[in-house]
Amino acid sequence: MLTNYTISVFTTNTVGLLNRITIIFTRRRINIECLTVSETERKGVSRFTIVIRSESREFVEKLVRQIRKITDVLAVFGYLDDEIVFNEIALFKISTPLGSEPLDVKTINLDWNAKVVHWGLEYVVVEKNGTEEEIHEFYSYMKNWEILEYVKSGRVAVGKTEKGLVEFLPEEGNWEIV
Amino acid sequence: MGQTQTKIAESGQSEEKKFFSGAKAIIQSLVDQGVDTIFGYPGGAIMPTYDALYDYQDRLKHILVRHEQGAGHAAQGYARMLNKAGVCLVTSGPGATNLITPIADAMLDSTPMVCIVGQVKANLLGTDAFQECDVIGMSMPVTKWNYQVVDANEIPEIIAKAFYIAETGRPGPVLIDITRTAQTDLMTIPYQYKLCKTLISYKPRVEPKVEHVEAAAKLINAAKRPYILAGHGILISGAEKELNEFVDKTGIPVATTLLGMSAMDADHPLFVGWPGMHGNYGANVLTNSCDLLIAIGMRFDDRITGDLSTYAKQAKVIHIEIDPSEVGKNVKADAPVVGDAKAALKALLPLVKKADHSEWRAEFKKYDDEEYEKITKKDLFHDGNHIKMGEAVALLSDKTKGEAVVVTDVGQHQMITNRYYRFKKQNSMITSGGAGTMGFALPASFGAKVAVPHREVVAVIGDGGFQMTLQELGTIAQSGLAVKIIILNNNFLGMVRQWQQLFFDNRYSFVELQNPDFITIAKGFGIDGHKVSDRNLLSESLDTLLSSDKPYLLEIVCEKEENVFPMVPSGGCVTSIRLE
Repeated sequence: MLTNYTISVFTTNTVGLLNRITIIFTRRRINIECLTVSETERKGVSRFTIVIRSESREFVEKLVRQIRKITDVLAVFGYLDDEIVFNEIALFKISTPLGSEPLDVKTINLDWNAKVVHWGLEYVVVEKNGTEEEIHEFYSYMKNWEILEYVKSGRVAVGKTEKGLVEFLPEEGNWEIV
Repeated sequence: MGQTQTKIAESGQSEEKKFFSGAKAIIQSLVDQGVDTIFGYPGGAIMPTYDALYDYQDRLKHILVRHEQGAGHAAQGYARMLNKAGVCLVTSGPGATNLITPIADAMLDSTPMVCIVGQVKANLLGTDAFQECDVIGMSMPVTKWNYQVVDANEIPEIIAKAFYIAETGRPGPVLIDITRTAQTDLMTIPYQYKLCKTLISYKPRVEPKVEHVEAAAKLINAAKRPYILAGHGILISGAEKELNEFVDKTGIPVATTLLGMSAMDADHPLFVGWPGMHGNYGANVLTNSCDLLIAIGMRFDDRITGDLSTYAKQAKVIHIEIDPSEVGKNVKADAPVVGDAKAALKALLPLVKKADHSEWRAEFKKYDDEEYEKITKKDLFHDGNHIKMGEAVALLSDKTKGEAVVVTDVGQHQMITNRYYRFKKQNSMITSGGAGTMGFALPASFGAKVAVPHREVVAVIGDGGFQMTLQELGTIAQSGLAVKIIILNNNFLGMVRQWQQLFFDNRYSFVELQNPDFITIAKGFGIDGHKVSDRNLLSESLDTLLSSDKPYLLEIVCEKEENVFPMVPSGGCVTSIRLE
């Protein structure tokens, strides 16, 4: 059975590292389901959140070790979904020409926990946060209107432990908080 | 700062030009790193650095090769002999792409290498400028680290980092791509070189964890039929002495991998040969009878394991390895020991009990005897008219007392050389194992000879591989170094032919070579040589080769369709090994 694995990679902020990391996946013909790169709370440390699907935990462990080996990678973790708090964000651009069925903003706000973030002349942009499944369900609901554009981010995730990132970084570093 | 000023004063620069150019910083950094030899080939984008090199000829020996691939393999040969980074200096575009094969080779065979590559001017990057190529993108999967320099000020620090990464942990190739602009620009800070000793984002583990060593020792002390596979890690960490002490105390039989060859004296009573596709009979079969497999500094390559699902399933496995990503990659380790082979063996030695596994060792002997009857005897003592590769190598081994540095290319002769050369001296075998790069041996043997000019260095090459890099005869001739070259010529791409015979129904598809007159070619380059096809003249031919104080080429005409046995069919179980 294919299981979601979320791989969190912490690196120094270096040009070309994304390429070095993705090579590990492409060599093994692993499809990256989604990928997010961001800053962290520590100066000079970047964070890659990569989601893949795999049948084998052992296989993912091997991947993690391969990624750990890359120079400039500071720490790597592989997580199952129940080991992390995670979310994604989606934007829906909905056509609202004059005379069309108006958006049910109240339902969108209260039932779907989403919101309109931009009112255009003949369109609106609705933002929805949640898991992939929640966003997927919301998508079905939004199909009641004409979707001009839909975009979803990759996953962001933090581990369900009391430990902070800095505890996994090499000790001698001066990991100044941003 | 004070030191920098002294250096500036020594180099005689005028006051107004007190900052180094990037090019000068490159060369001075190499000197300050302790580099004394570089292998290279000039060209447009690296010319400022070659200009700086002009002033350093008294301190830095530059060897002009005939092709960048030759620079790479020569640097590999050099690095393998000295266990320090071999350095290449080449230009952008094709200069860089020609270096990719040696870099990939060095990556697979854990060879430290620092490749300095010119790049087009910074303002031309990404414009498809003349001789521009994305060498960072290209080399990324085959380097341990790479970096593009656009700022001259960065040069000393980046070069120091490159050597540190290349030489520590599991060694490997590093590439620095330096734009022409960074070479011609003057630094805006005083030049200063500091050796890199640690990096925050790269932490190889040298000392193994105590609990891991203890767990391994426990398994070793309990084992009845333990078996050691010693790999390249022994040579890289210089653990030959520790391995011998460990083996002498524990009485455990040892096989060395292709790249670990020469880690043990071939005549050591506990040395049982080598495992793998063309390795020894017992060394393969008994992998599946031992109760404990102790792998040291090796990575369970598929050429060793064959079918993983049937490989050593009955045995517990201790895997001592500096690269954690190799542990459990192919074979699951019951007791992983991440660390340097030498450090791990040192830590293990006091914990293991003295033992005598003579009964178990005797099982290897049984297989050895059968292999001798069925293969070795026929290779060495036959009645045929033609010279067999095995007898040539065995004779070479006798005549050099097993003490030469032997560099092989890739193919049948490579396997035969490792079968019949009886290595007596440690760190004496250089070959392209992981990548299997034909054309490796000639430049690599030259690099080895540059590294250890006082040792006899013999390149054993097939007729196919020789023609891939034979232009390096020019480099050898120009250096005058007495590299001894043997071509084992069977007019075939022998290993492919053997496979076609055994597994493709004798359908010889493009494997027969119409060869040039190798001796005339050598002489054209100014290298003396001769050809021998008469078995009776083999011995004196080898004497001529070995007694030459100049480079010499001996072409040995061998039996055309000789096969290398034993052989484990590709992907087969180690016990499915064929003796004929």
